[in-house]
Amino acid sequence: MDELIIPLALGCAVALLSALGVIALRRPVHSAMLLLVHSVAIAALFLMLAADLAALGQVVIYSGAIVVLFLFVVALLPAGGREGAPGWTRFLAGLLTGAAMLVALASAFSVGTPPPVDSPPTGPAPVGRALFGPLLVPFELTAPLLLVAVVGAVAIWRRQERPPREQPR
Amino acid sequence: MSAPTLVLGTTAALFALGAMGVLLRRNPVALLMSIEILLNAANLLLVLGARVWGNPAGQATALIVLVIAAAEAVIGLGLALALFRNRERADVDDPHEVYG
Repeated sequence: MDELIIPLALGCAVALLSALGVIALRRPVHSAMLLLVHSVAIAALFLMLAADLAALGQVVIYSGAIVVLFLFVVALLPAGGREGAPGWTRFLAGLLTGAAMLVALASAFSVGTPPPVDSPPTGPAPVGRALFGPLLVPFELTAPLLLVAVVGAVAIWRRQERPPREQPR
Repeated sequence: MSAPTLVLGTTAALFALGAMGVLLRRNPVALLMSIEILLNAANLLLVLGARVWGNPAGQATALIVLVIAAAEAVIGLGLALALFRNRERADVDDPHEVYG
């Protein structure tokens, strides 16, 4: 795995920079496009970590479905979803939380010793066996979860059917 | 620096960035995007663990998390649209009261 250090570092840099752009840019359309870059970078990292199936799912579900969903919603938001600058309390809270999270995670990660042996990469077949073996119950539970999500989204939308607004947009 | 340490540091930084975004942004959609960054960081950690320890269950869990992220995005975006459809601007501070 150490022979992949340069591509891994590149992928990590792209993922981090695009994530920074997602939270820093004012316009939601730019954020959504950078989220696309971010998810593709994560998929590339998955590929370098020999997780083909997860990379496939990442590209299809995240880059394909979720980012497009975000773009649709940005188009439907009032005023293009433009937002003002965060107040200084909000800025301070965000900065403090980010720093605290980083310190907490770094200290938690530094406690555990990294495994000394580099195991050989596994193909997709063992992943399927894990999915339908020990992880069968959570895997099956994702089906009702998706059903509930779809029905819930439609119900939220249908519930508040109101007469249209007075003034045209 | 070894490769697992590099990716481990990236997951920590990504999670911190996502948590920062959740507090920093006022637009509901940008807030949900920050939550997606959080989920991506967790997923990257799962895949890294699966690779380093040679346990395919980590990658399978990452796939399940992916599906849960999709469901979360659908519900979150539906709520954001329902809340802000009839408002002048999209700001999570604006709705002070929510009627059932």
